[in-house]
Amino acid sequence: MSSAQNFSGSRRHIALTVNGKKVEADVDHSMTLAEFLREKLDLTGTKVGCNRGECGSCTVIIDGMTAYSCTILAIEATGRDVLTIEGLTDKGKLHPLQEAFIEHDALQCGYCTPGMILSVKALLDGNPHPTELDVRIAIDGNLCRCGSTPNIIEASLDVARKMAEKKGH
Amino acid sequence: MAESKLLVKGAVPPPLDRELTVVGKPLNRYDAAEKVTGQAKYAGDIKLPGMLYGKTLHCPHPRARILKIDTSKAETLPGVMAILTKENTKGWRTSWYEVLEIAFPETITHEGTEVAAVAALDVVTARKALELIEVEYEVLTPMPSAEEALKKPVPPLVGDEEYPGREMFDRKPFVIQRGDVAKGFEEADVIVEDTYTTQVSHHGTIQTRACVASWDGHDLTVWDAAQGVWNSKRALAKSLGLNPEDVRIIVRYLGGGFGSKAWSHRITYYAAKLSMVTGRPVRMERTRGEEFINHSRRYDTKMYLKMGAKKDGTLTAILQKAIVDIGAAATEENYYCRQIIWHTANLHACPNVYLEQTGVSTNKQTTGPTRSPMNMQAIFALESHMDRMAVELGIDPLEFRMKNYTTYQSVGTAEAHMMGDGTTTFAAKIPYSSKILDECMRLAADGINWEKRRAPISDDKGPVKRGMGMASYLVLQGVGLYPYAAEAKTAIKNDGTIDLYVGVVDIGGGQKTILGMIAAEELGVRADDVTVIIGDTQDTLYAPSCHASRCTPEMGPAVLQAAAEARQKLFEHAAFLLDTDAKRLGSKDGLIYVKSDPSRSIPFKKACQNMAPDETIIGIGSRAPNPAEPMMATFGAQAVELEVDTDTGLVNILKCVAAQDFGKPINPKLCTSQVYGGIEFGVGFALTEEGIYDSKTGKLLSGNLSEYRMPTSMDFPLVQVYLPECEDPYFAYSAKGAGENTNAPTPAAIRNALYNATGIWFNDLPITPDKIIRAVRATGGETKGMH
Repeated sequence: MSSAQNFSGSRRHIALTVNGKKVEADVDHSMTLAEFLREKLDLTGTKVGCNRGECGSCTVIIDGMTAYSCTILAIEATGRDVLTIEGLTDKGKLHPLQEAFIEHDALQCGYCTPGMILSVKALLDGNPHPTELDVRIAIDGNLCRCGSTPNIIEASLDVARKMAEKKGH
Repeated sequence: MAESKLLVKGAVPPPLDRELTVVGKPLNRYDAAEKVTGQAKYAGDIKLPGMLYGKTLHCPHPRARILKIDTSKAETLPGVMAILTKENTKGWRTSWYEVLEIAFPETITHEGTEVAAVAALDVVTARKALELIEVEYEVLTPMPSAEEALKKPVPPLVGDEEYPGREMFDRKPFVIQRGDVAKGFEEADVIVEDTYTTQVSHHGTIQTRACVASWDGHDLTVWDAAQGVWNSKRALAKSLGLNPEDVRIIVRYLGGGFGSKAWSHRITYYAAKLSMVTGRPVRMERTRGEEFINHSRRYDTKMYLKMGAKKDGTLTAILQKAIVDIGAAATEENYYCRQIIWHTANLHACPNVYLEQTGVSTNKQTTGPTRSPMNMQAIFALESHMDRMAVELGIDPLEFRMKNYTTYQSVGTAEAHMMGDGTTTFAAKIPYSSKILDECMRLAADGINWEKRRAPISDDKGPVKRGMGMASYLVLQGVGLYPYAAEAKTAIKNDGTIDLYVGVVDIGGGQKTILGMIAAEELGVRADDVTVIIGDTQDTLYAPSCHASRCTPEMGPAVLQAAAEARQKLFEHAAFLLDTDAKRLGSKDGLIYVKSDPSRSIPFKKACQNMAPDETIIGIGSRAPNPAEPMMATFGAQAVELEVDTDTGLVNILKCVAAQDFGKPINPKLCTSQVYGGIEFGVGFALTEEGIYDSKTGKLLSGNLSEYRMPTSMDFPLVQVYLPECEDPYFAYSAKGAGENTNAPTPAAIRNALYNATGIWFNDLPITPDKIIRAVRATGGETKGMH
């Protein structure tokens, strides 16, 4: 059982940036960042598959680094810059990774997909020329039970390749 | 092209007589954009005004009797709106498949059984309420495993204790026999016997069970995480005493199923009841831990096999005795009492078989199909044993399988179910509607460079050994009878919109895309011209739950027929505009044309405009049951090359080649994804996944994702997929089912490769590093090349 019982009713004010927007709220101490995103901001693209940092479906990017949002309290995210899957589309335009995931069929049921895409995004942001092994390591903390891994690797390397070509021009 | 024998009721639509422009194309899945943007709303993402949050309390013992349950403290907690226990739900039963279980029993028969359900204003309050519920148990001695249970008499039942299906299956052998097995062994030059065990495994869907139930005083609407909406609708209505017409189930997106979500499960029933009691919508979601202890699991088995063959490799006899742990509840709906032995009876030709499968009730979790329910276990034992035989005979394993190749099966579908005294004797040879397993085996072998396989044991120097192995499989296709009846509806409107209504669920296999493509092809329009309404009992016709690779073979023919009927009705309008007879028309790529003179054509949309503004053309399709003959099945073969470090016991699968006979893939891109998924399951089952129980208390020890180890990206081998095509006139564009069973041969292929690498037969799954190290040490380092 979570620590919720001891602190129930204890609330704190938080202010953070989510997908480029300033967000302020009063939250229960025990609320996780994943719960905050899903229940308070209705950003349900962040999935919670285990709520104990094992499956990776709740992965978000905080200040450029991937994090399991189920293992972080909302109050710990105050002052931080959080990117969720909803923040990846720019005015309705898909991010190249989203396009590549569609093209390479790098998803089946889609439940691990938001976290998976964010893990790859964080990789490519820091390492524009990843090897296949780099991709495997980057998504090692994201379980996909449908078996999309080979297609996720292909999609990721394809995006890296295209981004490199674009820069070359 | 063979004459169409499409499995539909009524007239079979005439063949298109043109090249296909949609079917067979590697199109992107229809719902991919919603999924990559996070916009797809799964059941647990639904939020309704005034919604309450439900939680369940679970019994921590596998077998126990509730002496006292006191909810008085929980009831007074502010924010608690309703509590259900055995005290206020007497006589109420929930349903899993069609197994009726007491909603809140007094006597618990497996760990994790619910003893209370709470609805509260928020999750924190609901959790707190659970802690305030006081339960006093009398802990009873459990039957922790089939083997232990068999050593003792059946314990007398306590209180309301019951094990659904026990009278039918518990300790009862079901038999398939043909020929004379004793004579078969007399004729054999080589006889080999051995025993194989397979473990409990879990589905591990990334989405746990979740639902939102909303009762408005007359109608019940449920957003569920289930693989079937129609079966769940009927089962819920029955359980809650409602008219099925007043129950609507919606599953727009599903975060994986693999059998675990075949029907609505207990939390949906609780959520519905709590909504009916409180008059407010209720959301419930299982935690990962609850998912492990309170869900169906893969049946663990012990399988003895004895096989005889002549020197030239001809099989003469197979004897099998399989024991299956069927847990706390099983009926013929979720326990297939002849499924292991059916596979043993029919994968290879053998004139004499005596095969026995015995289920044993225990206090393990309820059984339920798990990707290749018992096929994977059966194929593991059979294909492992085939390699063992091949080695004893000195014949290449691939050639040994080819030698015993068969084009017919010997036990009909009906006979695979319950019959008389439980014995099936059937000598008839029923041909398959299509089968190219031989081509699959050759492709898999070629893909892995089988000719480079070093026999029998690699002579690698040092601790790392390399080996190759293969295995084949078969699985039945389609039923066509309730609860697997299948109907579809196509609607065309004056403005040119085309809607396909299918009452199935897209569980991630791409069902929405595949059925849409079938309709588009048959209508002669582009794939994206068809809007598919799926995963909702409203507006759709009865359709089966999406499991057992069922969607394409059951729904495909119905969708094709529905589209063809709508097209022919639209052709009447087109015929008027083109001044010809509707019979002379064809359609393709959004054009309707005169077949004898394709230059005379009009756009599909133009023909629609000829309809009255409020007119809707409706086409209905209905799947006919499988005939007694021929037999329908899909097949496949997989070959694996791996390295094993005999010092650390770590296995590195270098490559896996899968060649699948799916008839014709409607969408090869999605089919390939399904094969990857199968291999993921197969690799996990072979090497790492294991539901571990405490032998004394019977409690599950591996109830989380760090102890229950599913493959990660680091474990995923390089996979090469071949999809050779063949005609099958019974299915829509020859498309048989594809996805589910592609894990069936993987564990045996891995195990056979491990033998090829080390000279050691591993018969007990999963083959974890400790087993490998122990086995290598037991050889005293005598394995060739070992230091």
